[in-house]
Amino acid sequence: MSENNTKWFSLNLSNSKPKQQASTCGCGNTSGGCGGHQNEIRSSAIGDERHKDGFEQVFDVQMDRRTAFKKLTASLLIGAGAVTTSCSVVADEKSKEKAQIDWEEQFKGNYKLMSDEEKKATVDRLVRSYELRTNKTISMTSENAQENVLFGYAFNISKCQGYMDCVSACVEENNQDRNSEMQYIRIHEMKDGQGLKFDEADDNYYHEVPAEGHFYLGTQCFHCDNPPCVDVCPVQATWREEDGLVVIDYDWCVGCRYCMAACPYDGRRFNWSKPEVPEDEVNKNQHYLGNRMRKKGVMEKCTFCVQRSRKGQNPACVDACPTGARIFGNLLDPNSTIRWVLENKKVFRLKEDLGTEPKFWYFMD
Amino acid sequence: MNNNCYTYSIGCLIMALFLSFSCKHKESKYHSLTDKIEEESKDFIGTDISLETLLEEMKLLEIHEEGHAFLIPERKGQLKSYACSECHTKPLASMTSLEIGKKAHWNVKLAHADNLTMNCITCHSESNLDELTSLTGSEIDFDASYKLCSQCHTAQFKDWTGGAHGKKIAGWAPPRASMTCVNCHNPHSPSFDTRWPSRFNTQMEKERKEGLSH
Ligand code: SF4
Ligand code: SF4
Repeated sequence: MSENNTKWFSLNLSNSKPKQQASTCGCGNTSGGCGGHQNEIRSSAIGDERHKDGFEQVFDVQMDRRTAFKKLTASLLIGAGAVTTSCSVVADEKSKEKAQIDWEEQFKGNYKLMSDEEKKATVDRLVRSYELRTNKTISMTSENAQENVLFGYAFNISKCQGYMDCVSACVEENNQDRNSEMQYIRIHEMKDGQGLKFDEADDNYYHEVPAEGHFYLGTQCFHCDNPPCVDVCPVQATWREEDGLVVIDYDWCVGCRYCMAACPYDGRRFNWSKPEVPEDEVNKNQHYLGNRMRKKGVMEKCTFCVQRSRKGQNPACVDACPTGARIFGNLLDPNSTIRWVLENKKVFRLKEDLGTEPKFWYFMD
Repeated sequence: MNNNCYTYSIGCLIMALFLSFSCKHKESKYHSLTDKIEEESKDFIGTDISLETLLEEMKLLEIHEEGHAFLIPERKGQLKSYACSECHTKPLASMTSLEIGKKAHWNVKLAHADNLTMNCITCHSESNLDELTSLTGSEIDFDASYKLCSQCHTAQFKDWTGGAHGKKIAGWAPPRASMTCVNCHNPHSPSFDTRWPSRFNTQMEKERKEGLSH
């Protein structure tokens, strides 16, 4: 059982292991009947029941997802490369460079496992590739988490007036898709005296605010210290960094949306279409894990503006709020204002009983 | 009997092994996030991140209040017509009778508490317009105007010095710089106005109408 039960999500391209599985219970029955077959059913990966197709016959060797993909694309590209070189008279330097970059980007590893040099290399490639495509220069960093930093956030419910300046600032700062009007932050307008009723709250109001008899509460990714979204990702494209930020490698994400389903706080957003930002509105100060341009079919979310916060700045929402309802800081610094809030105000978090340990507290004056 | 005992202890051993390996979160060293924060910040030695270069161009003053030391923006340089004594050569009382054309400060309407509690000279010194005045008549510098506010708004003052009230300037990293009261509140009309939100999400509206989202 233990052997068959390795990560149930593995694609098992080579299809070499199963089959003997049937005899593990010894009842002679191959499908149920003795009661000892439940495990089997659960552990067989999707696709196990199929016959080998053409692809698997060719690559009938033990191989992980990357290698298989690599080999397959390599052969395709060699073919394509042969065609282009033979056809184009002027295969200019630029398109060669572009092809080289695309090639290397295609086969890079998971950012989470990269060395600092590799991180820098991919960032340089992305910057160069953007330059080649648009003739514009961006600056992108791969700044790592600093020691002795754990980011935390506090939100003052009695101060928020529902202006949504934070939402606008976030969209601009983080290059969010203008077509689908993606927004990481939601401001929920709630009725006074009825507690926190998210199903009855309105997060897309348009009238003068603050409205009589209402209060406002903002949500976004809470950067849980025990993030359920991270646990479910089948390819480890999302993880918790040392400074507590929960981040996504947009180039490693396969768009399965498990994390979205696992998040109890509606913290994640999915790109159903290719995200688009007018060229003159693109924020060119970027971080690999933060606001760099995303593509269709990947997950994204608030990163506490990693491109700003790792430089000591506040996230864009904190800076944009005209009421000072948003407080951000280093939880490990006993003299920080966020620590003062946690120690002196009556703070609470959403769904605390889940044990997700969000690093996002609410408080009142 | 002996055999039973043997099986039992083996079982226990396996169980213990299983438990010790099944803890996959290294965070579970601590009972809760709060414990972890407390424990890991005991020997806090600071970080390499500083806001100094970002704050360099701003004119800031260091203040010490309630055991906290932080920077606030200086005020006098921001006031258009400071020093007031450049116009106010005579004490206020002798000016009340003058009725020539539009008065200076005509646009200042006091919407702060009520007439019983406040008028101009609750905060402005009658004899020296370059200074503010406390309730007991001591002079307060314009740069320290928060000392005026804190006479009544004691709870807000405490929250402000601690960092729960008021906005920080530039970032979270030290040195701490916070806005002072008058950077966000107009002292003559301190409450925030109602206004329209800065955006409305038409896509969200559409999706909800079509029932695509809950
Ligand atoms: S709020 Fe949601 S997306 Fe953010 S860390 Fe927690 S579970 Fe993950
Ligand atoms: S959508 Fe992307 S980040 Fe989320 S679980 Fe799937 S692969 Fe991981």
